[in-house]
Amino acid sequence: MKKLKNKNVFDRFLNRSPVFRGKQILLILLIFSGLLVTNGFALPVSNKVFQQAQILVTGTVTDVNGIALPSVTIQEKGTNNGVLTDFDGNFTITVSSKESILEFNYVGMKPQSRIVGGNTSMNVQMEEDAQSLDEVVVVGYGTQKKSDVTGATERVDAKDFQNQTVTQLTDMLTGTVAGFHVNQSPSAGGVGSMVVRGPTSLTAGTEPLVVVDGAIYKGSLQDINPNDIETIDVLKDASSAAVYGSKAASGVILVTTKKGVKGKPSINLTTRWGMVESTNERRGLNSDEYIKFRQDYFRITNPQMPFNFYTNPDELPGDISVEQWRELSDNPQEDNELEYLTRLRFFPIEQDNYLAGRTVDWYDVVMRQGLTQTHDLSIGGGTEDFSYYWSVGYTNNEGIIVGDEYSTVRSRINVDFKITDWLEVGMNTMFSDRDESGIPASMDFYSNSPFGQEFNEQGNLEREPHGHTFHPLLELYRQDKFRKINTLFSNLYANVGLPFGITYTMSFQPRYEFMKDFRFTSTDPRVGGDPTQDQSQGSRSEYSHYEWMIDNILKWNKEIGEHSFDVTLLQNSELSQRWTSISSNRNFAPTEQLGYHALQLGNAPSVSNNDYKYTGDALMARLNYTLLDRYMLTASIRRDGYSAFGLEHPRANFPALAAGWTISEEDFFNLDPINRMKLRLSWGVNGNRDIGMYASLAQLQPSIWYDGTSPRVGVYNSTLGNRDLSWERTESVNLGLDIGLFSNRVDLSLNYYDMTTTDLLMNRRLPALTGFTNITSNLGEMKNHGFEMSIDAVNIIQENFKWSSNLVFSLNRNEIVELFGDIGEYTILGQTRTGDVPDYSNQWFPGKGIDVVWDYSITGVWQENEREEAESYGMRVGDFKAVDVDGDGKYTEFDDKQFIGYTKPRYRLGFRNSFTFLKNFTASVFVRADLGHIGDYSDAALNPGWESNDRRSRNVGPVPYWTPENPINDYARLDVSTSGYGGGLRIFKSRSFVRIQDITFGYNLPSVAAERLMLKGLRIFGSVRNLATFTKWPGWDPETGGVPMPKSYNVGLSLSI
Amino acid sequence: MKSIIKISFFLTLTILLQVSCSEDWLEPEPLSFLTPENVYVDQAGFEAILITLRKNLSYETTGWGHPIAGEYAASDLAVPTYAADFTRLTPSNSFRFRYLELFSQSYEFIKNANVLISRIDDIEWDDQEVRNRLLGEALWHRAYWYYRLVHSYGDVPWSGEELSGAKLDFATYSRTAILDKIQKDLEFAAVNLPVTPAVLGDVTQGTANHLLAKVYLANMEFDKAIVAATKVIDGPYELMTNRFGIVADDPDYNVIWDLHRYQNINDPQNKETIYSTIDRPDAPPEAWSSGVYSSRNYTPSYWKVLDATGNRACNWNTPTGDTLGIGNGDVRLNYYYQYKLWEKNGTDNWEETPDLRRADANWVEMGEILSEILTCREGSPQFGEPLTKELYGSLSDTTDTWWSWPQYITYVPTPNGRLPVGGQADWYIFRLAETYLIRAEAYYWKDQPGLAADDLNKVRGRSHAPLISANDVTIDFIFDESARELFAEIPRHSEMVRASYIMANLGRDGYGLNNFSENNWYYDRVMEYNNLYRSPKLVWYGNIATLEPYNVLWPIPQTVITANTLGTINQNIGYDGAENNVPPLENIEEPNEQTN
Repeated sequence: MKKLKNKNVFDRFLNRSPVFRGKQILLILLIFSGLLVTNGFALPVSNKVFQQAQILVTGTVTDVNGIALPSVTIQEKGTNNGVLTDFDGNFTITVSSKESILEFNYVGMKPQSRIVGGNTSMNVQMEEDAQSLDEVVVVGYGTQKKSDVTGATERVDAKDFQNQTVTQLTDMLTGTVAGFHVNQSPSAGGVGSMVVRGPTSLTAGTEPLVVVDGAIYKGSLQDINPNDIETIDVLKDASSAAVYGSKAASGVILVTTKKGVKGKPSINLTTRWGMVESTNERRGLNSDEYIKFRQDYFRITNPQMPFNFYTNPDELPGDISVEQWRELSDNPQEDNELEYLTRLRFFPIEQDNYLAGRTVDWYDVVMRQGLTQTHDLSIGGGTEDFSYYWSVGYTNNEGIIVGDEYSTVRSRINVDFKITDWLEVGMNTMFSDRDESGIPASMDFYSNSPFGQEFNEQGNLEREPHGHTFHPLLELYRQDKFRKINTLFSNLYANVGLPFGITYTMSFQPRYEFMKDFRFTSTDPRVGGDPTQDQSQGSRSEYSHYEWMIDNILKWNKEIGEHSFDVTLLQNSELSQRWTSISSNRNFAPTEQLGYHALQLGNAPSVSNNDYKYTGDALMARLNYTLLDRYMLTASIRRDGYSAFGLEHPRANFPALAAGWTISEEDFFNLDPINRMKLRLSWGVNGNRDIGMYASLAQLQPSIWYDGTSPRVGVYNSTLGNRDLSWERTESVNLGLDIGLFSNRVDLSLNYYDMTTTDLLMNRRLPALTGFTNITSNLGEMKNHGFEMSIDAVNIIQENFKWSSNLVFSLNRNEIVELFGDIGEYTILGQTRTGDVPDYSNQWFPGKGIDVVWDYSITGVWQENEREEAESYGMRVGDFKAVDVDGDGKYTEFDDKQFIGYTKPRYRLGFRNSFTFLKNFTASVFVRADLGHIGDYSDAALNPGWESNDRRSRNVGPVPYWTPENPINDYARLDVSTSGYGGGLRIFKSRSFVRIQDITFGYNLPSVAAERLMLKGLRIFGSVRNLATFTKWPGWDPETGGVPMPKSYNVGLSLSI
Repeated sequence: MKSIIKISFFLTLTILLQVSCSEDWLEPEPLSFLTPENVYVDQAGFEAILITLRKNLSYETTGWGHPIAGEYAASDLAVPTYAADFTRLTPSNSFRFRYLELFSQSYEFIKNANVLISRIDDIEWDDQEVRNRLLGEALWHRAYWYYRLVHSYGDVPWSGEELSGAKLDFATYSRTAILDKIQKDLEFAAVNLPVTPAVLGDVTQGTANHLLAKVYLANMEFDKAIVAATKVIDGPYELMTNRFGIVADDPDYNVIWDLHRYQNINDPQNKETIYSTIDRPDAPPEAWSSGVYSSRNYTPSYWKVLDATGNRACNWNTPTGDTLGIGNGDVRLNYYYQYKLWEKNGTDNWEETPDLRRADANWVEMGEILSEILTCREGSPQFGEPLTKELYGSLSDTTDTWWSWPQYITYVPTPNGRLPVGGQADWYIFRLAETYLIRAEAYYWKDQPGLAADDLNKVRGRSHAPLISANDVTIDFIFDESARELFAEIPRHSEMVRASYIMANLGRDGYGLNNFSENNWYYDRVMEYNNLYRSPKLVWYGNIATLEPYNVLWPIPQTVITANTLGTINQNIGYDGAENNVPPLENIEEPNEQTN
């Protein structure tokens, strides 16, 4: 409450405005500019120091088409002397003698060596590697040539997103990878939810496993700075993921961060600014609509009152006089206008504001255009024996809802030392400081009247702006919140070279996380408190978390003639612990000033703790075998242990097998446009352990009771134990085909998969007679199968224009094959069946998808001419009308509910077009579509009005409603009733959408110009996210459903020195 | 060099493998919660279950729309304002009251009791008396909830032991099978429990005998009921006839007021309490219930009444609100309870009755003549004048705002919350006045109206109500007396159902067990006395007060029936799904005969 010492709430308001938060930003900018200046002066000096070489070589590096290649590494063989080409492919290097050999290296191109000889000017043309896809990709516990990969993996290159503003790494994955479903997060700092392929579990988590630089990462994705990311590899099929065994059933994403590149320090500075606003301006009722709503509401709930009782006396129809209108009330007031407002049950505040012509648009109070900014600085470099990369990034985002604030500082240090020729040690460490103290405004603002007011005459926040329902910013004002999370994650490793080509890696990966969440709710009337209605409340929650993993890895690879072997053996153990303390108090006295800093000042203290610990271990072996560069085989097995299953089944095995065949390498293969074709087949078993770590134990909870003299602690059994609890197992088959066409101008990748999950971890519902709601069990079987396609094409490639496209498409079909295995008789769709009994409460039906919707099929709204029929169903005109399947004149759940759709997209598409023109300009457009699914819109469509609506606005926003005067057919009346529908009724609407999700633009300053500024490079760029969305979804946004989605405009500047 | 590394490496690996592969490493280790293995090992562990069971009892009388409020809303004295159409009470929808939830919740409490009952002999007892006391109390709690279940839902499933895994083949047992079982359990409890509590909250012999008397009544063992009730009446209890407790010196009030002050329920001077919940505002917050909600459930929204300007004449967040509460009008009291119940032979009307239970000091009157509620909004032209209906544009608006209520029962301040809904407070479970009425009822069934009249007069006399004679004793009169004496205290719907079963069993007035859901005493009495179901019926937001004979029993929740996939649980006749019923089981098999 310290902030409250300010004279009035307006000061607090100002504190929230972005202008006053610029201090940190200024500081960071100062540091950055300082760095710039120092480096600008330092560079020429250091050049002089190293001027010992005698021969100056200049030149240009291009590809076969003559397109300049930037960032090609040029190294004088056997020395540390090396440079990179600039954006125009130009380079300048001084070498020691004519005998020097220059080595040119570029990812995806064949390396080249040239003897300097007499050429002081060299134009080098680099050829694409015969298998340009001989790019090295990251696989579990190692790397592999892409051409040798047998599973379904996909790579996302962070470079593709350098012109965008990416707050979290999930922002790079929204719709971009076939079969990897990521939704955007609507909040200022949120992380999107991720699902690989399809949901493989009913109850256990289905978030993929995240691996950062080879280390399994169990922390929040929010703590990984996307600016540090080089690539993300997604492992989709069982065989690639199987090396992670027990945790891999939901897929794996491998994040690789940037490393220092040999050479002089390279400093990169990027700053991004942006503005966000809602994609959908969903305003509540304006003053006229509000009055209309109140009239409609009273007319429909008080049908006994004459229609014109609620009519404005100035707008009476011809057949009724004002005098007659007055007589409709037993006690009319003298003033007609006041009488009218009374009939509409306006509160005194509303009456005053109505008469004074004052209104508030609560949309503008709650929603805003927010500012976002991200600043990143990184320094990388190295020598033959040492490389380093250090970065620090600061992000400060305002969300589109007032009060939604997020800021974070994230830093990373990656260093690697070659100590001897057989020992290499290093460390990848990341630190983050996340501030989540924001308190977003309440989205219930629709219930506020436009005739309310934000502040009262004293300047205090109006607690109930029109006399009923809270001010949407009440919590923001009266609550003091401090929430911070600090994390430190490190991967310390040593690589040891052993005889016979064996390498041994040991790594230790500790992770620390500390959280503080302090809150205090004041009763001060200046901030909307009310001592007669509230109690001051304070709480402090804190935890510290410590976990570690140890990996011991042995690798052996050997080529014997045409046989190539790669063997990996792993031993791993892990421990995770958390200690949580929560204390709270209320009724603070004699003053609330100290807030959460002095919880001892309350009179009802309370404490609680929640600590946990779990352990795990694993052994894994994998063999990659390649014959003649065209037959590939991968076999692996992993044995995992996890303490949650420790009572009976502590360990389980997860095998996998995969084969690949590069048909195009065969002599008989001669299909012209196809220059590369590979067939992949994989099979494997993965596990899912993402369930409460104590789910196998019966737990007791305390219940505190007071016997009139002293508190006494009781206990009760709160969960049923299940000693037999074990892993959920997903067995999957993946069939893949990779095709390169027209000299790899077109690259096509197809995957079909079929996954069967057995021993599903589920919270099986129990009859309440047991005294428990559910028991965690392994039961049942679920299948997912699907198809994914990814096409990369270089459409046009010319000196001054390059256009390439990427199209991804995926679909997944899910089916619950078996549920509890309880065979019995049941009724559904009007038929009595015998078989595996469905779980109606969770809407799980054997033979149907987990996302299937079982409900009444709405055909419209009962209209006046259907009154009799409506009444026979126990409904009224204006209520929803549905299909009565068996036509028995009754809506009964088991006869008349149908399978009416799915809540998950049936088809997903992503389409990116990238352009490079005039060498220095780049642009891209990304269009995304999720199609064929429906979403629950019941909260809005079935808003019954209920009794409180006579005192507040329509609390679902601009949702139409039926009235006798406006008999629409898609939305029901106010005071809608669903009691004629057995088992209840829900309303669904289409959630399909197509959206122009990302548009980017970038400009690289030509290197000549950059050099004049003493820079290695300068790039300016901009982007727009969610520019336009095409959908029929009536809610805020089809992707989020019920909450607003930001649209953002960003610009940025990146400098390299 | 390299071989040293090699050796040391393999050594490390071997050690690590041994560490990680040892079974201890994967043993789950609970840190912040208890498990049965470390608690149910001694007397203290079992006492801890009893603590929970005692706290569970406050489910009956705490929170918005609590079960006891629901009992009155479904009675002859009131209707549930927002859900007055009982034909909309379905196996999947119970509106505002807990007509479905009570079912599920009861089994949770039964589960708690079953843990003790099943485990009691897992440890060695030095003192059998301790064992029997613990077991006796757990049996009493279990019997309490089964008594509630069979009189709310009729035939219900029996769950009698602790479960160790999923069970989905529950079956319905007949009401009589369950009554027989709990009768036996209570007979054990009645001799093994202490006579007086060592500490407040201990269940006593009196508590057991009081419930046992009701169970005997339900089982038509009228003589045994009289014996059990007499044991209570002869026990360490007596009706309070003189002023006592916290406001004993305030001459404006009377003994009935004193009897219902929550601070007095367990006052040592109060000899009338047999058993009560214990729920104190000065306890630590973890021990609080959400409050008794007596000023929310039973009282009208008087604070919505309008003045001449069309604005609210008063509000609950004024000093008035502290005493009158923030009524929501959920249990809409009818004319019968407010007025007719207090008349005798048309001479002794509610305004003149000497009955303290309808005394001015004890009630808030929303009448035209008397009004204790004044316009309190400053600036109102009626400031300081009594609230009136006359200023409404339309009288239908007074449905939830206008009736008189027994403030002596509902008035409970809320020191731990600002909304005056009725805060943490002790509340009677059993009180000696009810024991007299139970015995009176037993005498009535045995056709001994004189003895019944004596017991009724004990209760009436204490409240200065005119005494009655043997000729006045009817079953309706006994339930009238219960309405006057025990409002908001006992489960009235359950007790009416119990009496209905007796009538049906005895074949009185044409009632029978074979068509219980079509013709029963409960329905007939409600329709006779509850004017809100008769023309003009209460109408509130499209809800027309309707009650059908089958509503005598509430529906079994559909969720329970569907989740019980391997067995059949019967639905009550009249509700969807009853066509699938199978005959209920008649014998409860005892897992072990601990109580013998």
